Amino acid sequence: MTNKQIDHFKEHSVAEFFKKNRQMLGFSGKVRSMTTIVHEYITNSLDAAEEAHILPEIYVAIDEIDKSLGHYRITVKDNGPGIPEKHIGKALGMMLAGTKFHRYIQQRGQQGIGAAGCTMYALLTSGQPVKAISESNGKRNEYVIKIDFKTNNPVVDKLSESVSETHGLVVIAEFKDLKYEKGNRGPYEYLRRTVLVNPHAKITILEPDGNITVFPRSTNEIPKKPREARPHPLGIATHDLLELVKAKAVKYKKLSLLLQNELSRVSAAKVKDIAQHIPEINLNMRPENFSWEDSEKIARTFKRLKWIAPPTDVVIPIGRDNILNAFRTLFNPEFLSVIERPPKVYKGGVPFIVEVGIAYGGDITRLGKQGEIMRFANRVPLLFDAGGCTLTETLKTMEWKRYSLKKFEEEPIIVLVNLSSVYIPYTSAGKQAIAGEEDINLEIKNAVMEAARTIKRYLSGKKSEREIEYKKKAILRYVNELSFDLEVITGNNKDRLKEELMKIVESKYTLVSHKKKEEQKTLVDDVSVDNKKKMDKHKQGE
Amino acid sequence: MDFTGDKKALQKIKDLGNSIVDDIHSGRPPTFKTVSRSRGNIIFDGKYDYLRLGEKTETRKFLSVASARRFMQTMAISGKIKKFIEENLHTSIRGLYYQLKFSLGEDLDEEIFSEQSESNSLVEDLEVALGSKREDFHLTTDRKGVLAGPITIRDTFGGEETIIDGAKQGRSGWMIPSDVDNGMEFVDVTADYVLVVEKDALWQRLNEDGFWKKENMILITPKGQSSRGTRRILRKLADAGLPIYVMVDCDAWGWYIYWTIKTGSMNLAYLGKDFTVPEAKFIGVTMQDIETYEFLDRLTIHAKDVDLKRAREMLGYPWINKHREWVRELKTVLRTKKKLEQDALQGERLTFVGEYIREKLEKKDFLP
Repeated sequence: MTNKQIDHFKEHSVAEFFKKNRQMLGFSGKVRSMTTIVHEYITNSLDAAEEAHILPEIYVAIDEIDKSLGHYRITVKDNGPGIPEKHIGKALGMMLAGTKFHRYIQQRGQQGIGAAGCTMYALLTSGQPVKAISESNGKRNEYVIKIDFKTNNPVVDKLSESVSETHGLVVIAEFKDLKYEKGNRGPYEYLRRTVLVNPHAKITILEPDGNITVFPRSTNEIPKKPREARPHPLGIATHDLLELVKAKAVKYKKLSLLLQNELSRVSAAKVKDIAQHIPEINLNMRPENFSWEDSEKIARTFKRLKWIAPPTDVVIPIGRDNILNAFRTLFNPEFLSVIERPPKVYKGGVPFIVEVGIAYGGDITRLGKQGEIMRFANRVPLLFDAGGCTLTETLKTMEWKRYSLKKFEEEPIIVLVNLSSVYIPYTSAGKQAIAGEEDINLEIKNAVMEAARTIKRYLSGKKSEREIEYKKKAILRYVNELSFDLEVITGNNKDRLKEELMKIVESKYTLVSHKKKEEQKTLVDDVSVDNKKKMDKHKQGE
Repeated sequence: MDFTGDKKALQKIKDLGNSIVDDIHSGRPPTFKTVSRSRGNIIFDGKYDYLRLGEKTETRKFLSVASARRFMQTMAISGKIKKFIEENLHTSIRGLYYQLKFSLGEDLDEEIFSEQSESNSLVEDLEVALGSKREDFHLTTDRKGVLAGPITIRDTFGGEETIIDGAKQGRSGWMIPSDVDNGMEFVDVTADYVLVVEKDALWQRLNEDGFWKKENMILITPKGQSSRGTRRILRKLADAGLPIYVMVDCDAWGWYIYWTIKTGSMNLAYLGKDFTVPEAKFIGVTMQDIETYEFLDRLTIHAKDVDLKRAREMLGYPWINKHREWVRELKTVLRTKKKLEQDALQGERLTFVGEYIREKLEKKDFLP
């Protein structure tokens, strides 16, 4: 979002702004709006549960009220900590009220607009406020929540209060202009993929047709909470810097001190370097006076200086074992290869990690999935705008044929790509496509090729084994007739000839087949060992 | 190729079988060698002026998915041929195919042969591998050629001996059998030369005129492309000292018929020297004839693409383009885009054909 837009919020109401620009929140198209709503609620539920160290268990129900109007009721129930009464209005009835905005931390969303955005959409389409039942601190409170669009203030009506021994949140909202689709862009697939990259979560979905599906949990390990990072000078743009300085201005008397404390790798010596480059700016100015022009000049100067790379331990991957387990639980594939690459930095200042998983066969064949690319950013499935996404683009350049995959689009294969970063370069506010960054593309490419190589070994091994068995059979079927004919021609006993011929055929093909099997086993093992070593090395380096 | 006949072929089959059995007894994957019939191994023998196979050999393997079936089939054919020879019975390739068209086993959804075309090419393979010809295998081919003229032939067949008089075959002529070697020999050949005419219609025309009697020659028509029997008998007649003249259409098909008789063809190169007559001469019809006999000029027809293509191909063959006369002839065809049929010679009057042949022979007006 540009600085202008932010200013715009302040002049008018943020709620008013988004009311007019709802596509910015992902509310464009009936199918997409449905998935966006589910996404916003699920993201909040996962975040809240993790924050409270609870293994998330989420139930999603989608009821069709009137298909022709696209009228649906969406219910999301979680086992999280619930929302205390003083926060419930902000959480569900105030745009941009969340704590996520302006934070330089790896997180599922990058703007705290989600659940309140859904409330707004409910009000705009069905006219119905959102119902919420929160259980926390021994209480069970039931609310009805609206937004005052003029002031961006929540309007909360408390319906009831009772005693509770558990915790959790239920949100029930009605929307029109939606459409339920079972395909690759609907809630069903969204939730399956969510569990694939959040294997500590268990999610149940009740679809409009009455089908209930449980996506089971495959690990009891709650992911490590990412640490908030200070932005690196090379990863910060003019408007980011301006926002940062404005947000932290009250804490500092001098800009130079703010820069040293709020940015990564900025030392007193570096401040002197900066001052030499732009003597016209007084770095000791009061941060309140920091202007767009100042920000522009400093951000530009940052790019000219040499910097130590930022610390990369602020990025937390899903983890190879977690992805392996999740794939096994959800797709029971015949072959699986997961590559976790060490952290890298793009634009010189933003750390990121790429993880790639390739799963082949098994339930993937049964489900009829073919050549499916599953994109994720910070564990969130990206289901839309695939065409404009650098993950898709990079995978498109893969020459799958070289990896024993004749026609990628027709193979029973899933390729998972997860990009984890403190700052995901989305192409737009819809947050469904990632912009091309050379460093990111290279990492994706390397990871996919690495995974593809192991699958190639598996497939060619499988192929040759099958081929050898096929060859042996193809030849053995003629042994009987050949022995008979040779007896006719030479008078030698056909049974003896047959026995000897069988031995010759068996020994030739069995030997090769055995050799191949051994070789293949070692190769696959080597790869996983190699990979493990690499990861260990990376961990030690931290 | 050896022509001591079927008994020799029988021995060769047994030798082949024994060498394969040797492989098996010694635990080696069974194989046999044969001369390659690929294009790359077809060479023009400049010494005797005919097309033959070169020295490249190929190994047929049983332990290869690509060739296991063919290997088995070759042996199945060999086994049958051994029986045919031992029982002194003959059959066609189709008969052989039906003898072998049975299932490989109860649990196998596969037959030894499922199409006749499979057995055809394997018989050719075996001819090359053993250096025998299929007539020696007691495999007959369709008879096609017809002969008339002053020649007597002894035919020992089915336990009886018959003397065939080529001059007493009436309007139909003597049909040339597929095997003119085993049990068949010339008793007396008094003709001065042999004339081969492409079409049966022309043969009948000349036969009606008593042309072969007047000319003391042997008149043969292969009725299109020559059968193996026809080509063998032409070779034998040439060996008996008779000049061989060929008269065909001036077009792609006619030229092909002539050159197959003379040098053999690419496809039939495996048959070798004993099926070719390099001494043969081309009487006509030719493009030159149009100038010599003016009435022919209006009897030409447009050459088809296939004729022009063939003419261009022929100009590329060293055994053809070494003859100046042929280069000139083919270039004329390409330039004028015309062709001429032998039937055109009857355009003025039916008996003109005879005069045409006599004149050509007198003037020695041939193409080589």
